[in-house]
Amino acid sequence: MRLRSFLIAWLVTVSGLAQNVGEPPGRPKGPPPQTTEPALTRPSELDKARLESKPPSLAVPAASAAQAARAFIDWAGASTVRQREEVRRLIGEARDNASVATAFCDEASRAAVSDHSRALLALSILGEMRSRVGEDCLRKLLHRPLPEKGTLAHGEIVEETALGMLQAKAVDGLAYLHTARGDEEVLWAVAKHPSRIVRAEAIEAYLWNHTDSAEARATLQKYVRADEAIFLDRIRRVPEENAESFNKRLAAFQKAHPETASPPPHRAYRKKRSLPPGDEKPPVR
Amino acid sequence: MTHLCKLVLALLGALALRAAPAQAVCNQATASQADRDLWNTHGCWQAFFLWQYKAYDMSGSDWGGRGWDDACNVNKEYPKHWNAAYLLTYGLQDNNSFSFHGTADYRGTAERWDNAYHDDLYHAPTDDTSIFGSWSYHFFGSNEVDTSCLLYDPNLRPNANPGSRAGDFEHEGWHGWMDKYDWDNGSCGGHRCGPTGNCTAKGCDYFYFHGIGAYAFGAMWENDGTANRFHSPNQVQVEFLCDVADFPQGWVPNSVRLAAQADANQRASQRFINGPGYFCGNPRPW
Repeated sequence: MRLRSFLIAWLVTVSGLAQNVGEPPGRPKGPPPQTTEPALTRPSELDKARLESKPPSLAVPAASAAQAARAFIDWAGASTVRQREEVRRLIGEARDNASVATAFCDEASRAAVSDHSRALLALSILGEMRSRVGEDCLRKLLHRPLPEKGTLAHGEIVEETALGMLQAKAVDGLAYLHTARGDEEVLWAVAKHPSRIVRAEAIEAYLWNHTDSAEARATLQKYVRADEAIFLDRIRRVPEENAESFNKRLAAFQKAHPETASPPPHRAYRKKRSLPPGDEKPPVR
Repeated sequence: MTHLCKLVLALLGALALRAAPAQAVCNQATASQADRDLWNTHGCWQAFFLWQYKAYDMSGSDWGGRGWDDACNVNKEYPKHWNAAYLLTYGLQDNNSFSFHGTADYRGTAERWDNAYHDDLYHAPTDDTSIFGSWSYHFFGSNEVDTSCLLYDPNLRPNANPGSRAGDFEHEGWHGWMDKYDWDNGSCGGHRCGPTGNCTAKGCDYFYFHGIGAYAFGAMWENDGTANRFHSPNQVQVEFLCDVADFPQGWVPNSVRLAAQADANQRASQRFINGPGYFCGNPRPW
């Protein structure tokens, strides 16, 4: 009887551990993933057709503006780096089409709650347009209050981060206007926007749109929060800059900001199970 | 019925529950534009997903009801997982003069096999929206990387795109690196508790700045035990997202790059104790 009780207790303990501590060694695999779709050949064979797709026209009357704007966002989202200048040119040509700008703004609002990646696209297009309608749209978005409740993930309100990212994109558009009114909004955001995402982007956008000049830095210093002054010197990684130039700037940044040096990493207090090959050295003689 | 019989029945019941596919709560009916645009570059390449599920040690018992049996439907979770893996596997330029790290590093971190980056791991979904993802140590068998519904459902914003999802594979995989080499990155979910220093989040890391070319491709796992040659999970994630945004293959859609850039920059501004990480790309709207 005592042996049976011991056996039961042991089985319960082992079962509990298997449930809580980890999977059993023989995790069920089952069949591979399935589909009823016909098999395709290689994706590279699709590249040519994709790149040949013609951009939808934005030169449309007001009645067709919403449809044209949606089609353009579809096309621009699928476009590639090689088509960047073409996208910019087409957006620039539509600058004076207020109906199309309004449609981009509407699409950004709609997508903001259903597809963040599409909202980013619509706002990027609107910012690149540099239109009066776009400016109003971006300004309104920038001043929208951040949500105080929502989905809490790792202590972060996801909806707040989501709106902050869209507002950061709006600030890019306002800075790109290169107008006094636009800059005024950007500098307001540097000083007073409640989201650090937006404040950080506003600093970067202001500097970049003023060619990183000493005057721009001096202006920003009047607005930037004391505990965010380091953002003025932040390292920007742009595709055009080679390693040598970037590394020089990084070294200068680290020299100017010794406080950015990280402390030594901490060792965990448990038995090591493996060592990196680099550590497999003989003891020092 | 004896106690032993009852116990055996209880154990069998528990095992049956464990083997049954979890019922998905996550939305399986929509995908972000970034997911759809990337999807259209491969049109559901079956040879890839039939390799990928093995490379990420995924199983129908975890992904049943989430597109495992409908692997060409981009609206479902499993197809979105392999869509992100496709970006990670093929989407980077691997340019020595520009990229932070190479595909070998990012694949080594994300894929299942015991290697220089981590011990064996497998990928599973979770409907827990209080996390983006997690890495869990298992005493028996492989360690576990879970990715949350927040990375799949575009209605839950803003990380439901292939770049952010693959970025999370890197982040969680790097917790595996910390474990493999016995590093303690903090007590708040494997991070330093925040807000602290320049970090405004609850889970904070250090940014171990390094130049371009400091790590040969395939050498991201290396460390010398000091802050001079080290990476944190958020840093690996930011560097991956930057490489997607700024140095992708020519066919990677702009919607994917744009979302990756936005994620990299918000993360770099908020998650690092010793100052902001790099700003990726320039702030021109397009």
